[in-house]
Amino acid sequence: MSEPNASSETRAGGGLRRRRRRPRRAAVTGDGFEGRGALHRHLRLVAVQLRLRVLAALEYRTGFWSGGVLSLVWSIAGTVPLVVALEHRADIAGWTPWALCMLVGCHMIITGLFGALVQPSLYAAMDDIRTGALDYLLLRPVDALVSCLVADFEPWCLVEAVAGVGLLIVGMVGSGVHPSLPQLLTMALVLGCGVMALYALAVLALSLAFAALELQNLAYLMEAMLDFARWPISVFRGPLRALFTFVVPFAIMTSYPPMALLGRLDASAAVGALVTAVVLAGLARATWQRALRGYTSASS
Amino acid sequence: MSTLRHHLAVVAAMARLGMAEAVAYRVSLLIWIVTSIFPLISLVLWRALAEDGPIGDYDQGDFDSYFVAAFLVRQLVASWVVWDLDRSVRNGDLSVLLLRPVSPVLHHVIINVSVLPLRLALAAPIGLAVLLATGGMQVLDDPTLWLLVPPVLALAWLLNFTVQLSVGCLAFWLTKAAPLFDLWLGAFLVLSGYAVPTSLFPAGLSEVARVLPFHAVLGFPVELMVGRLSWSEALVGLGLQAGWLVIIGAVAAVLWRRGLRAYGAFGA
Repeated sequence: MSEPNASSETRAGGGLRRRRRRPRRAAVTGDGFEGRGALHRHLRLVAVQLRLRVLAALEYRTGFWSGGVLSLVWSIAGTVPLVVALEHRADIAGWTPWALCMLVGCHMIITGLFGALVQPSLYAAMDDIRTGALDYLLLRPVDALVSCLVADFEPWCLVEAVAGVGLLIVGMVGSGVHPSLPQLLTMALVLGCGVMALYALAVLALSLAFAALELQNLAYLMEAMLDFARWPISVFRGPLRALFTFVVPFAIMTSYPPMALLGRLDASAAVGALVTAVVLAGLARATWQRALRGYTSASS
Repeated sequence: MSTLRHHLAVVAAMARLGMAEAVAYRVSLLIWIVTSIFPLISLVLWRALAEDGPIGDYDQGDFDSYFVAAFLVRQLVASWVVWDLDRSVRNGDLSVLLLRPVSPVLHHVIINVSVLPLRLALAAPIGLAVLLATGGMQVLDDPTLWLLVPPVLALAWLLNFTVQLSVGCLAFWLTKAAPLFDLWLGAFLVLSGYAVPTSLFPAGLSEVARVLPFHAVLGFPVELMVGRLSWSEALVGLGLQAGWLVIIGAVAAVLWRRGLRAYGAFGA
């Protein structure tokens, strides 16, 4: 049994980035898995994993403090440099304080989703690759990548994302914008592209783990880099701006959604965001498949 | 005389061990280098913000100097004993260290210090390249104040080490203590002057931040090296460093002693 382990480790550690053993067989032995459509199988897997993790999260409520409240506190503490800059300037590279409030809201949505969905799965899957437990995931009648990306969740981290939505709305009210429906849709589109890009980067990191095995600090690197997504893209110049727009597209994740709401995002930028996200996702998928072909399991 | 030579040989052997461990995982080393250049991204950022006039008493050149120094100081005061100790308590590796004739604490000190030259050797070219790109930095121009730099850096390193040691010792009771260090690290990134000079903080917050141990580890040595401090300010900062070191060092010593007893009781 692996669940008692999880309880002792959770209680003892109570940390920000802990990993848990999870009862992964439950997803496979669930009824009605065979003979249905592929989409049904995948959706069921996601639903089962989500349900299990939510149940576990409700059981270990210290996670509310370590995963939810604490990450919210860090998120707010992380805005100190922005506050310092606003202390000395009326606006930051054309962004008023209220517009920045919207941007920070988007940042919290992104980091909340990263902490709740992306990072736990990334850690769990990297562990599986290192220990060879990936074999069991490969045997499932679902796409191995989907299995890896739903390997673990930290539902309490969604507290941060919810707070981010609140901050986004506060920023909208504060700056007095009344976005039209197309503007709202554009915002949803670019934010979706941002999440897609985030997942693509995670998959690229995961693919690297096949080659280098001990790469948990790569996930840490992603997390640390996300701090720079708190600054509007117009602050950055030259190569860094290109880097944060196309390669590690923080611009799409945090700058573009508020710009869409403020009506400052032109169509070409929106299309560019979509293309960037799709290209990144395609690249990630191809890299993943290449890496998976090289997987030889840990023991054989 | 022969005992001295023997001790030197032991220290040298352990230093070689630390070096070998550091270069064993080259990808990890690379990722660590990428992580450590973050102050240089802050440099670009604040440089752009200061384009149309200085922010506080920092103009573009001041930001260049500050963040390059921050980058170098962060390398020089680095240690990772909390993760090593946390792991070795949990999996019992500490027992092996305890059997050796050298104290495990000293073992970690030597292992951590021995990698500093490598870190500096990797970081110096990066810092130099940035300086060439931005057009140089201003450094402390009072040669007598430079005398304070080595002790200040040593104290900063010791502070960081003892904090990590204290948190790592909690693993004797909690089994897993490294996540607790994230609390320190989170506060450090905000309050130490790593992301933004603490003197630019809003009034009130600035004064508080500057007496905390976070600032003593990073912000104070950096400000000293770029020549922003007078003799009296430097001495006050040095006193703060020493004071924090006494407090945190005492905590670490108590935790280490009691922890060892708890560890033995575990029978691990």
